[in-house]
Amino acid sequence: MMEALGVIGLRGMIGGAGLTGFMNSSVSLMELLNYQFFQNAILGGLAAGFACAWIGLFLVLRKEAMIVDGVAHTAFGGVALGLLLGIDPLITALGISIVSVFGVSHMKRKGLAESDSAIALMLAIGFSTGLIIISIAGGFSVDLFSYLFGSILTISRSDLLMILVLGMVIIAFLTVFHKELLAITFDERGAKMMGIPVDTILTMFNLIVAITITLSIKIIGIILVVALIVIPALTALQLRASFAKTVISTILIGLASVVVGIIASIFYNVATSGVIVFTMLLIYLTTTALFRWMR
Amino acid sequence: MEKSGIDSGVREIMSKDMVIEVKNLSVNRSGSLVIKDANFEVLKGDYVGIVGPNGGGKTTLLLALLGQIPKASGTIRLFGKSIESFNEWERVAFVPQDATNFDANFPLSVRELVSLGRLGRKRIGKRLSKIDWDEVDSALEFMGLSEVAERRIGELSGGQKQRMFVAMALVRDPDVIIMDEPVAGIDAATQEKFYQKMSDLNQKRGITIMMVSHDLSAVFCRMSKVICVNKEVNVAEIRPDVDLEGVLRKAYGDHFHFVFHRHECKGEFKA
Repeated sequence: MMEALGVIGLRGMIGGAGLTGFMNSSVSLMELLNYQFFQNAILGGLAAGFACAWIGLFLVLRKEAMIVDGVAHTAFGGVALGLLLGIDPLITALGISIVSVFGVSHMKRKGLAESDSAIALMLAIGFSTGLIIISIAGGFSVDLFSYLFGSILTISRSDLLMILVLGMVIIAFLTVFHKELLAITFDERGAKMMGIPVDTILTMFNLIVAITITLSIKIIGIILVVALIVIPALTALQLRASFAKTVISTILIGLASVVVGIIASIFYNVATSGVIVFTMLLIYLTTTALFRWMR
Repeated sequence: MEKSGIDSGVREIMSKDMVIEVKNLSVNRSGSLVIKDANFEVLKGDYVGIVGPNGGGKTTLLLALLGQIPKASGTIRLFGKSIESFNEWERVAFVPQDATNFDANFPLSVRELVSLGRLGRKRIGKRLSKIDWDEVDSALEFMGLSEVAERRIGELSGGQKQRMFVAMALVRDPDVIIMDEPVAGIDAATQEKFYQKMSDLNQKRGITIMMVSHDLSAVFCRMSKVICVNKEVNVAEIRPDVDLEGVLRKAYGDHFHFVFHRHECKGEFKA
């Protein structure tokens, strides 16, 4: 694997074989807008950034952020399976993600394992299965790496369509159930007593988490999905604001990081997912330092 | 024929005013009997204090009344309906003992938290309307929290947090509010103000209130009924002619002496 990584290099990760020339010529930001790859990247990135940030706030507050990392790694098995069978890897990844999210919550509910151990187990099952499939198939090289590290600059129109549709499902769910989710996140038992159908809403939430992870795989890659989910929420929580303001700041931080990350990665010719996450980290560190200093 | 007609009429009025009716209730918790053969009624407009030693089963009794833990035997009726078929939980508001032990960094303003009280079975997925927010603001005002409405919940004092959860219960427009030790860990002056607020709620709004309390003089000065819980459950109306010390001894034991001067109540003894 490491060999392959070395061969592909950073440029390979952004899927940028065709972009090399582009980057060397001096293109302005306005001209960039005319390129379809850029439009696709920005649209897909905004959808993923929006969905991940919003759902991430609930996951962080529920202290369940690492479920994303576990499920994303499990989805690797799904991607490998898709590549092997010749079907869209995002579809198999979605299926496996759903199974693993429910697997974790089932194990937790039945007392089979604590949340963190259940996540570790799922991660192990999915990732090891993925590795076995890859070696049987004799390796998928570049294709597989684009899922591991994201390939936002090369997403196709059909990928984009799927990302946008999934993004809309997530945002619709959060818009409708956002108050109930907040009540459940704050006090699950209390919410149950108030007559909120906690189990049903949490089941839907799990489904939405699986969808969010799948949607982000092409954008940011399996390894860094967790960053897109956790860092915007963590940053916004530093503001110590009301819930409404925290949600808005979380989403804005997510969107801004994606846009800045995409543009910077094109101009400096480095891996996009890396720059997106790095931008988020910079915003996080600046915000933390600023608010510590102000207090 | 005529007699039975009157009987059913009486029964109808009775059941209309009946908030909680408990008969021969026993409750087990982790295998041991915690509540034994309890019988009592709570009527509309009652202000009930639940007292008894620690570990005596007060919280268990409340949780059984709320349908949160199963009963071993007996019947519980809420508003005339058996608890097994009762589904009007929006009429019952509960403030648990550990309500104020929330994560102090949780990003919620006081007004936002109280607004969550408007949620429930019948309004899943609906947005809060102007009416909802008006209810929230008036509950905040009633509980004296208007000035801290935009603050974060973690920034409030213990007494304010407690009142915030009562406000959250109030916006549900409940018929009964059940509270488990709402004033634990709060200074005496603030406790006094809290009891005053609850008396107002009970008298001005006619809300039935049940509250676990260790402050026996507050219970006897302000409340209309006392439920003593120590495995056995004894109930007494709080009136000058009732031997309250005798009732308390059944819960706290014979070595218990309760010295109670009526003048402590400053004329608020409900006789």
